[in-house]
Amino acid sequence: MIPINSMEIRKNITNDEHELLVAGRVDGEGANQLELDVLASIRAGARVIYVNLSQANFLCSAGIRVLLQYWRQQKNAQRALLVTRPSPEAAAALSMTGFQDQLVEKI
Amino acid sequence: MNFVLKKNCPAEKRRLLSALETFARDHSLSAEARHAADLALEEHLTNISSHGSSGPEEVEVHIRVELRDGILQVEVRDDGPPFDPTTHPAPDLTLPLEQRPVGGLGIHMMRTVMDELHYRREGGSNVLVMRKRL
Repeated sequence: MIPINSMEIRKNITNDEHELLVAGRVDGEGANQLELDVLASIRAGARVIYVNLSQANFLCSAGIRVLLQYWRQQKNAQRALLVTRPSPEAAAALSMTGFQDQLVEKI
Repeated sequence: MNFVLKKNCPAEKRRLLSALETFARDHSLSAEARHAADLALEEHLTNISSHGSSGPEEVEVHIRVELRDGILQVEVRDDGPPFDPTTHPAPDLTLPLEQRPVGGLGIHMMRTVMDELHYRREGGSNVLVMRKRL
């Protein structure tokens, strides 16, 4: 269990698919860390980046900006970035900003 | 709850979050109401930091959170340049991802999670009052 006011990212790599497991609070500070981790995956040649938000209990607009920015960058490079299993809080943030249908992986 | 944020840095914001958690617990706020206040504050503090005149970290922000007559009220006062978030145009949520602007979502999120936003310029300060009916 991580403290309520912090964020952790664990990474699972299978060939060229990277899964970022984000736990905790994606606030401004967390969004900066998320951006660094997404960039590291892109530099490592990830074809698909899955951002698993099942344990993210807070998602602000700065976090959504990172997701949108690198969704575009990956798409332009014929690659992909997808959000998976958003928590209720993350799903609400994505939904109220109109990103739920387009950024979240359809199962 | 009264709180003065003297620097927009992670340690100060963690202190603010702890104070908000204590307030929510003491007043038996629902998780939804606590989260709404938290998100609205996060977004507004980011905006203050972006629009402030003294650099992104040099701010002094006075925050008051009250619960009265079934209404959660968050008042934020800063002495930066005039900035009225209530006049900010709503984003077009129907655009495809390729055409969506990267910024401008924070105020929309504040409007969505809170029921009312009121702005006034008072004595050289911006005062934003956000209310949520419980």
